[in-house]
Amino acid sequence: MKESDPILEVENLSASTDNLPILKGVSLTVYPGEIHAIMGRNGCGKSTLSKIIAGHPSYNITNGDIKFLGENINSLEPEDRAQSGIFLGFQYPIEIPGVSNLEFLRVSTNARRKFLNKEELDTFDFEELVKEKLEIVKMDHAFLSRSVNQGFSGGEKKRNEILQMALLEPKIAILDETDSGLDIDALRIVASGIKKISNAQTGIILITHYQRLLDEIKPNYVHVMSDGQIIKTGDSNLALKLEEKGYEWTDNFIKET
Amino acid sequence: MEIIEKIKTNKSIDNLTEIQKICLNKLQSSPLPNPKSEQWRLSNKSKFSNFLNYSVNEKDPIFDIPFPKTSQSTIRLVIGDNCQTNFIEENFSIKQISEDKLVKYIKEQISYFDQNENWSDLLNLSLNCTKNILGLKINGSEIPPIEIFSHASSNSLNAKTLVIFLEKNCDIDLLQVNLGKDNSSLSQSTFLCLEENSSINHGVVSYGENKSNLLNSLNVIQQNNSEYNLGSLHFKFNYARFEIRIKQSKGNAKTNIKGMQITKKDEQISTFTKIDFHGPNGFLDQINKSLADDKSHAIFEGSIIVPKIAQKTDASQLSRNLLLSNLAQIDTKPQLEIIADDVKCKHGATISQLNEEELFYMRTRGITLTEASKLQLSSYFQEIISFIPVSQDRWDLLDKLLNEN
Amino acid sequence: MVNENLVKDVVKEPYKYGFVTDIETEKIAKGLNEDIVRLISQKKEEPKFLLDFRLKAFKKWQKMKEPDWAALGYKKIDYQDIIYYSAPKQKEKISSLDEVDPKLLETFDKLGIPLTEQKKLTNVAVDAVFDSVSIATTFREELAEHGVIFCSISEAVKNHSDLIEKYLGTVVPASDNYFAALNSAVFSDGSFVYIPKGVTCPMDLSSYFRINSGDSGQFERTLIIAEESSSVSYLEGCTAPMFDTNTLHAAVVELIALDDASIKYSTVQNWYAGDEEGIGGIFNFVTKRGKCLGKRSKISWSQVETGSAITWKYPSCLLLGEESVGEFYSVALTNNLQQADTGTKMIHIGPKTKSTIVSKGISAGKSINSYRGLVKMGTKATGSRNYSQCDSMLIGDQASANTFPYIKSQQPNSEIEHEASTCRISEDQLFYLQSRGIEFEEAVSMMVSGFCRDVFNQLPMEFAAEADKLLALKLEGSVG
Repeated sequence: MKESDPILEVENLSASTDNLPILKGVSLTVYPGEIHAIMGRNGCGKSTLSKIIAGHPSYNITNGDIKFLGENINSLEPEDRAQSGIFLGFQYPIEIPGVSNLEFLRVSTNARRKFLNKEELDTFDFEELVKEKLEIVKMDHAFLSRSVNQGFSGGEKKRNEILQMALLEPKIAILDETDSGLDIDALRIVASGIKKISNAQTGIILITHYQRLLDEIKPNYVHVMSDGQIIKTGDSNLALKLEEKGYEWTDNFIKET
Repeated sequence: MEIIEKIKTNKSIDNLTEIQKICLNKLQSSPLPNPKSEQWRLSNKSKFSNFLNYSVNEKDPIFDIPFPKTSQSTIRLVIGDNCQTNFIEENFSIKQISEDKLVKYIKEQISYFDQNENWSDLLNLSLNCTKNILGLKINGSEIPPIEIFSHASSNSLNAKTLVIFLEKNCDIDLLQVNLGKDNSSLSQSTFLCLEENSSINHGVVSYGENKSNLLNSLNVIQQNNSEYNLGSLHFKFNYARFEIRIKQSKGNAKTNIKGMQITKKDEQISTFTKIDFHGPNGFLDQINKSLADDKSHAIFEGSIIVPKIAQKTDASQLSRNLLLSNLAQIDTKPQLEIIADDVKCKHGATISQLNEEELFYMRTRGITLTEASKLQLSSYFQEIISFIPVSQDRWDLLDKLLNEN
Repeated sequence: MVNENLVKDVVKEPYKYGFVTDIETEKIAKGLNEDIVRLISQKKEEPKFLLDFRLKAFKKWQKMKEPDWAALGYKKIDYQDIIYYSAPKQKEKISSLDEVDPKLLETFDKLGIPLTEQKKLTNVAVDAVFDSVSIATTFREELAEHGVIFCSISEAVKNHSDLIEKYLGTVVPASDNYFAALNSAVFSDGSFVYIPKGVTCPMDLSSYFRINSGDSGQFERTLIIAEESSSVSYLEGCTAPMFDTNTLHAAVVELIALDDASIKYSTVQNWYAGDEEGIGGIFNFVTKRGKCLGKRSKISWSQVETGSAITWKYPSCLLLGEESVGEFYSVALTNNLQQADTGTKMIHIGPKTKSTIVSKGISAGKSINSYRGLVKMGTKATGSRNYSQCDSMLIGDQASANTFPYIKSQQPNSEIEHEASTCRISEDQLFYLQSRGIEFEEAVSMMVSGFCRDVFNQLPMEFAAEADKLLALKLEGSVG
């Protein structure tokens, strides 16, 4: 038995887009301080799961529930989920031409602060806060004056995601392939950023293909997804085994069950 | 014929000027534009006839300029007011064009007019008496920014005409503001002539109140090596047409246009542009944005004409449109007519909503849908507004727009 | 300019389909009036509903005005100076192909469309139309085994009058436009295709239209019906002899696709285009339209337009069924004094409908080549999308290329995207190819066919190769 209440409970979740079923009964519970890794081939439903938890309007929940801090959030708007502490790190962060990164970060940080009954920050105070957080991801101040993600390299986009996570201080962060497209140095920066931001009160879900991020951030649980379902759950050794044997090994596993 | 009678019997005009006579004569054969012509086919008929419903009023009441003048150096003129228009300084001069020169120039322009295409100008010039025509000749350097206001007062139809000759090597910032009052119709015709090596940053900001109407026609002639930059914004009109005709008379000129129109309620605002390259090495970069909400209708028709003589023309025209409501509609038709073969011409058009993925991204960061839309809209507006000269510092158009939308 | 003289020296290949077949024909008197309409109907022994259809169309036509909005300039057509029915004299009833006049068979042989049992194309069923009548249709029995009906429209009127009565004029109403009304009044022959429910047509179907007579107009009518879950690929080819007068061709094509049905309609149009001075050539005023009536139905038009003095043609799709798809792939090449005004209309009516437009215009000589298209999102077309791309290539500084896209949206939850560009063959590209030993002419035709690749990829295989050759042929001597 766990001592505290779970942060996130996904219960037998099925979902579809354009009448096409993508998730077929996923269950997952995350307690404070836990790090979960979800692995699986492209198209297995990992990214969809993360988008549905964040409330993407293109997906319909056809069955099951998502609970955040004990409350059902199935029909909550994406911004309300974010304000209450759910963070999604995008696999492909969206470029928003014309919208200044600084302004975007400030508006979103204040939205979260307002929810937490914290004082909203004016431009000046916010600059101070950002400066401090930029350190975590080793980003240059110049990034703030550019449009959101526009013209950023793959690594810069991912670091911008972690910067947002640092500013929003979520209860749970779902990081969708945050490691893809990063070189070794950038991966270290991102990983150490994640470790700095997370603590015993937060939960993390890492969605990844590779072991290398998990070398940096050791997960408590590893889940393997296939065809919209979690087909196996284990500890960090499962990821190592997967790295060694490849996903074909899990194909056999499906047959076994 | 009704309109012609109206002009002729207008009591405030004592005797018709020569130009009025010529224009009335032209209108005699076909007093109204052909509703089936390309230029007028989408024009809302009842709104158009409403434009002509008001009577011609020559007595303008006192006019309040919507924003304060902060810099002393800015030159501010109101067409129709007996304003001081002769500035002769050390570096530059802005002089009123003599009447006979003005008449000669306008007459020449009229001789090229097409009944449908230039109907707005014909109407304007047939309505207009000398008082409401401002003709300026500008030369020199370090010319301060110029602001020119046109307005129509309530329950009346007003016509204002502006003619500017920009002499060689001149360089100006010109902001033109057209304001419509409650239940009014404004006919504004502008003629700009850019001589060699001259350049204008031209802003045109037009907005009305309840039931304002506008026919805004802009005719630009560009000589060699001139540069014409236009930033325009039209909103809050029951019915508005913005017609832009630019002729690079010998090619070798640069034109940049960034325009936007915003329609709400049941408004109809349209923009027509015709860019004529009459010589080689011409350059055009144009973007026109529309935003249509409620039951409104936004229209863009652009044409780029590249005859054989206009080799090495580089022209690009983009029409971007946001349709925000189920009952609103958008029409766009960017067209190319090309004969010269060694040219780079492209155009594009899109009609869509606000980008859903961008909205979702912002929402996952806790930004509300309304706020996220506002951020997107402001970036959509910003590209155009930042191109409008003079206004930037003290007249926050962006705030005005965002609060309206 | 690139190698101007070299190019001008290149010998021009004459229009190789320009011969006339010397055959005895039955023609009616010139001119058009109600009696002529009745006479045509009587000659074809038509049922009353069709005569009524014709007469109604004729009355409408009389009240209509010839359109003048397209950017086309041509001499006024004297509609009383045209013969509206011309047919090669044949035996009353032909029971097999062997009874067809050998001269006719020879004609189609020469055109590369052999019809006889021994020589006929193996994978394509052909309906051969000579002036006003259909001569022969191959593979009829084989197709019948699958329930596919492929015959001339005159025959369909006799044998399948229920289908004709049900569908004729439902996609292109008689009053649709001036030329459609004219066609509805006087159409002589054309092809009829019916694909029953669930059937994938076992081979490509093809119609070959041949104008032989110099003073008669050609007014064919094609109707294709694809029932639920059926599919068919249909090809159309056209040639005509060289006359120094203009011949009027005003066809109407109607396609109907029901739930999950798909129709692919490909055209290679190579009517006689007139000579270098613009003397002669076909006036090609055609109305082609498809109705995607059923859910998930699909209509795809692909066309290679190289012939005719004047082309006025907008193969269109009415996308009514939910998730239906419309496509238009076009290459239009004009040379000398040819004029082409072509494009498409994609009318999105139903939800989640999709359309794609790819148009490539190549103008050489003193020709005028215009793309004119309409994309419209109706109020119910939620979730619909359109993508259009219209590129023009100019060859020489006398030709003109115009793009007139009309775009209209009344549905915020839909997306329209239109792109257009104009280019020419760059000297650098040509030089690069030439420096690798490729002949100048070859290099040009490589570039042109590269420019058209997106469209050629959509054509059935036999057509794609033909289209490539056709373009190279048409362009010879025009680059400079």
